[in-house]
Amino acid sequence: MSATRMPPPQPAQRVGAAPKKNDNPKSGDEPDLRSQLNAWLESHRASLVDSLRRLAKQPIGSFFTCLVMAVALSLPMGLALLLDNVERLGGSWQRAAQISLFLQLEATDAQGQALREQIEKMDDVAEAEWISRERALDEFQQQSGLGEALKELPDNPLPGVVVVTPREIDKVALEALRLRLAELPQVQQAQLDLLWVERLSAMLKLGERFVFGLTLLLVMALLLVIGNTIRLHIENRRSEIEVIKLVGGTDSYVRRPFLYMGTLYGLGAGLMAWGLLAYGLAWLNGAVVRLAGLYSSDFALAGVPLADGLSLLLGALFLGYIGAWLAVARHLNELAPR
Amino acid sequence: MIKFEQVGKRYPNGHVGLHELSFHVRRGEFLFVTGHSGAGKSTLLRLLLAMERPSSGKLLLAGQDLSHITNAQIPYLRRQIGVVFQNHQLLFDRSVFDNVALPLQILGLAKDEIGKRVRTALERVSLADKAEQFPGDLSTGQQQRVGIARAVVHRPALLLADEPTGNLDPRLAAEIMGVFEDINRLGTTVLIASHDLALIARMRHRMLTLQRGRLIGDGEAA
Repeated sequence: MSATRMPPPQPAQRVGAAPKKNDNPKSGDEPDLRSQLNAWLESHRASLVDSLRRLAKQPIGSFFTCLVMAVALSLPMGLALLLDNVERLGGSWQRAAQISLFLQLEATDAQGQALREQIEKMDDVAEAEWISRERALDEFQQQSGLGEALKELPDNPLPGVVVVTPREIDKVALEALRLRLAELPQVQQAQLDLLWVERLSAMLKLGERFVFGLTLLLVMALLLVIGNTIRLHIENRRSEIEVIKLVGGTDSYVRRPFLYMGTLYGLGAGLMAWGLLAYGLAWLNGAVVRLAGLYSSDFALAGVPLADGLSLLLGALFLGYIGAWLAVARHLNELAPR
Repeated sequence: MIKFEQVGKRYPNGHVGLHELSFHVRRGEFLFVTGHSGAGKSTLLRLLLAMERPSSGKLLLAGQDLSHITNAQIPYLRRQIGVVFQNHQLLFDRSVFDNVALPLQILGLAKDEIGKRVRTALERVSLADKAEQFPGDLSTGQQQRVGIARAVVHRPALLLADEPTGNLDPRLAAEIMGVFEDINRLGTTVLIASHDLALIARMRHRMLTLQRGRLIGDGEAA
């Protein structure tokens, strides 16, 4: 081995010398804005590629980290989607809170139609439907199984009904609307069944609160998983970080590859969670369709809406980024060169 | 370039690393700091790298007061300094090229510029043909030269070396010192901490002698 002695100092090569006044400012240690931007982009590209390479080097470990995160993400999201489906199964809120106006027996079909049109013009009414006495009897015959017995009756005992769907679901407003509708001509009785609406509302609110609490807990768990994973990566790269800091690397330079790593874990977890939910709902749907079929219903579980899937993905990316940021921020002071 | 004014360093456990040290190093100077183990050589280098703060006195590096430097300023200070370690501190999972390129990547230089400068630095330490190899494939002397190339690639104003020949045989040690002298001739201030008095004596440069944290000698090595 032999170290070649260098030639005499050349002004243009002077190591550590202050730049001369006539030096081209774009050729020394003062890169122009475009070069700086390119270098910054290159630095990000290098951090991203390096993080991908490190994740790919430990495929099983990376896969299971993402899987744990995906399960944690898919639990609250899955429950939220099931709640949406339950809400859909129970009918929309408006349908659940319909007010039935039973008209006097002598009210004619034309009067019923006119009343329906009058009610539908009201600001707080979304929809109104006229069910004539004949149609009410037909439906009752079909649904009650008393068809033959009802045919023996001398007169149709059922009144015409206007079914009113309100715009907003508010107990006080609904009651006020019911009272106003009850005072309309030809109306014998206005009936609002709020009890089951309230029960369903309470159950759904309980469900939403449960999902919210579970989401908070699992977000914390996710941050811990990410934080712990990134902490291990930091430990593995401690000597590298010390060298980087010794040669002038800033905290943000040190932090960058770990942020990419956290975000990549988030991306992997988000995609896996989306896949798990889509597969899980499709798998469950078969049984739900069969069950619904037994009740003469064509109800089927809705899949993962695109917007929800994208929200899940973005949330996972964000959590990965934040988890990594917190982990590096916590350990950065410990990474001072020794 | 470097000015120590009554600089003292006392550690929380009561140990005194440096006692009111005062000396001045001119720009472009080549000097050794010597002394037995525990004399304060490493403490002095750590103060210059802002790895530690002086407990008392004033320490100026290129006009910047390191006694009051903020954490955010430290990376930018270190970009003006090249450091060579006894144990090289190379990254063994990166190629020689990538090791040497690290300070330039941190500086944010363009890829082409980094390539040019790394090749020049490797040529200066006669390792141009080893750029694609990994440090683990090189001899100890070659690894030390990679460390030197990394220390000078960003054209620092000051080069610090902590026992850079500690693990090398005398012939390799002399060659490495030759490389330091070449770098110094190009204008870089070189400060080497070493306890190899025989080697220092042959070099005939200024030598600061420390003993238990006190400066007991300042003159040309005899």
